[in-house]
Amino acid sequence: MTEEPLQFGEGGRLFGILTLPIAPPHTQHSLPVFVFLSAGLLHRVGPARLHVRLARALAQMGFSSLRVDLAGVGDSLQRPGLTNQQSVAADYAEIVTVLESRLGRVSMVLGGLCAGADNAIRLTATDRRVVGMLLLDPVCFSNEGLNTRALLARHVDPRRYIAWVRRRLNAAAIPLRERWKRVDGLTLRDVPTVEQLRAAFEVIRERDGRVLSVFTQHAFHGYYDRFGQLERAVAVENYARFCTELFWPDVEHTYMLDVHRRRLIEEVTRWAAGFLRPQLDAVGNERTEHDVRSWPA
Amino acid sequence: MHEAFFFGPGDRQLFGSYHPPVHGNGQVLTVLCPPLFLDHTRTQLILRRVATCLAEKGQHVLRFDYRGTGDSFADLEDVVVSDWIADIELAVQEGRAASGSRKVRLLGVRAGALVAARFASASADVDRLVLWDPVRDGAAYLEELRGVQTTLLERHPRLRRPERSEAIRECAGYRISERLLGDFGGLSARAYSGVPRDKVRIVSTSSDKRLPIEAVSHDVVQVACQWGTDVEDLIMPQPELLDRLISGLTAP
Repeated sequence: MTEEPLQFGEGGRLFGILTLPIAPPHTQHSLPVFVFLSAGLLHRVGPARLHVRLARALAQMGFSSLRVDLAGVGDSLQRPGLTNQQSVAADYAEIVTVLESRLGRVSMVLGGLCAGADNAIRLTATDRRVVGMLLLDPVCFSNEGLNTRALLARHVDPRRYIAWVRRRLNAAAIPLRERWKRVDGLTLRDVPTVEQLRAAFEVIRERDGRVLSVFTQHAFHGYYDRFGQLERAVAVENYARFCTELFWPDVEHTYMLDVHRRRLIEEVTRWAAGFLRPQLDAVGNERTEHDVRSWPA
Repeated sequence: MHEAFFFGPGDRQLFGSYHPPVHGNGQVLTVLCPPLFLDHTRTQLILRRVATCLAEKGQHVLRFDYRGTGDSFADLEDVVVSDWIADIELAVQEGRAASGSRKVRLLGVRAGALVAARFASASADVDRLVLWDPVRDGAAYLEELRGVQTTLLERHPRLRRPERSEAIRECAGYRISERLLGDFGGLSARAYSGVPRDKVRIVSTSSDKRLPIEAVSHDVVQVACQWGTDVEDLIMPQPELLDRLISGLTAP
C-alpha cells in the first residue's frame, strides 16, 4: 500500500490523501475507488482516524481510496460566495478530475459520516459514475410508524417521567441562552430531500451497485428508530438485493469507542468484498467467501 | 500555501505539512508538536491556523502527525513514547532540511508538550519551547484519560459482553499497549525542568494554577478548552488565544 498527499483543483485549493493498494493491474483499474468526504468541521482523518483505518483496510483488499478535505475544512481552502451545496458540487467536480487524471476512468463509492453521508447522497443522485454509497448516519425520513412509536414511548415509559422531573430540576441551573441551543440531530444539517435520496438509490440500483447504511444512537434519538425505516423511506425496487441497512443504537454517532470503530471496519470490509466478486468471476478464479474477504492476503 | 508530504524511513513514515514563510527568507523554524488522542482531532483547526499565522510573520513551520496518529503510518497500539520523541527529532531534521534554518522552536500542546520537553531536554537544537496547557506529568494525564473512559463506558450501558471486556481496557476510546501506558506513567514533570528555563514559555487556558514548571514566562488566556473531558468539539482559533501562542513563538 502507498499513500500520496494530493493538492488539487483550481489553484491547488483542495487537499486529500490518495491510498493505492499493491494489487494486480487487472483489478486496480476496474475496482471502484472509495471517496471519503469530510464531515462538518472534522478533517479528512475522520473521528479518531476512522477514515484512515478504513482506507488502509480497504487497500489490503485491493481498493484505492481518497480521503478528502472539502473546501473550508482541514487543509482545503474555502470557496467564498458559494452556498454549501454549490461548494460541495464544485469540490466533487475537481475530485473526479484528479482521480481520472491519476487512475483513468473511474467508478466510485462515495462515503461519509453525517454531513459527509448527506453530501454523498446528493452527489450520487446526479452522477452515474457512482456505484456505491457508504452512509454513516445518513438522513432518513420519518413515517407514521415512527411518530406512533415515539408517542407511545413518551407516554408509556416511566423513565421518561423521571427524566422529565430531573430536567425540570436541572433547567433552573442552565442559562436560558444555553437551553435555546439544544436542537435535534438533523436541524443543523443541510440534508438532501426525499427525492434526492430516492434518486441516489435509483442510480446505484441501475448501476448494479451496493449501499451500506449504518444508523447509530444519534439517528435513534432524532429521526430513526426501527430497522428497515430507510427501506420504507426510499421505496426503491429490489432494495434488499443491493442495500445493507444496519441499526446500531448502542453505538455513538462518532464511534467514540475503539471496539465500535473496529466493528464498523469489519462490517465495511465485509460489505466491500461484494465489489470484488465480479472481478474474481471475470478472471475465472473460484474463491470461497473467506478467500474473498481476506484477498489478496 | 503549504506543501504536504510523507517523510522518514519506510516503516515509520510520518505525515507532514511544511509552511514556508510568506515574506522573506525566514530565520526560524517552528515545529508544532500536537497533542494526543481526542485532543489531536480537536486542535487540528487551530494548529493549522497557528502555522499559517507564523508563516505570515516570516517563519518556516512544520506540522506533523506522530506515528499511529492522524495521517501518519502505524497503529496506535504498536507505538511507545520513545517513538514519539524520535518522531519529533525526525520532524526537526526534516524541517531544517526543508527550510535551511538552524534556529528551531517547538510548540508542544498538552501531552505533546511533555513529549516535546523530553526531546528538548536532550537536544541542543531547540532555541525556544512554548507549552500550551502542558499536562503536569504522565501519571496525571493517564488519570485524565481513564476518567474519560469511565464517562464513555457510562454512556454505553448496553455494550455487548465481548465488547465491554475490550472497552474497559481502552484509554479515552483508544486501544493502546500496556507498554505505552507504562511509558506514560513513568513520564514525570522532570521532563520540563531538563530544559533551560529561559527557553520555556507557557500559554495556559486552564484555571489550574499548578504549572508543571515554576519561574518561567507564563501567559493566561480566558478560554475554556475542556481538556480531559469527552467533549469532541473542535477548539476554535479565537483571536486572543492565537495571539498569545503566536507572540510566544515570535517574540525576540
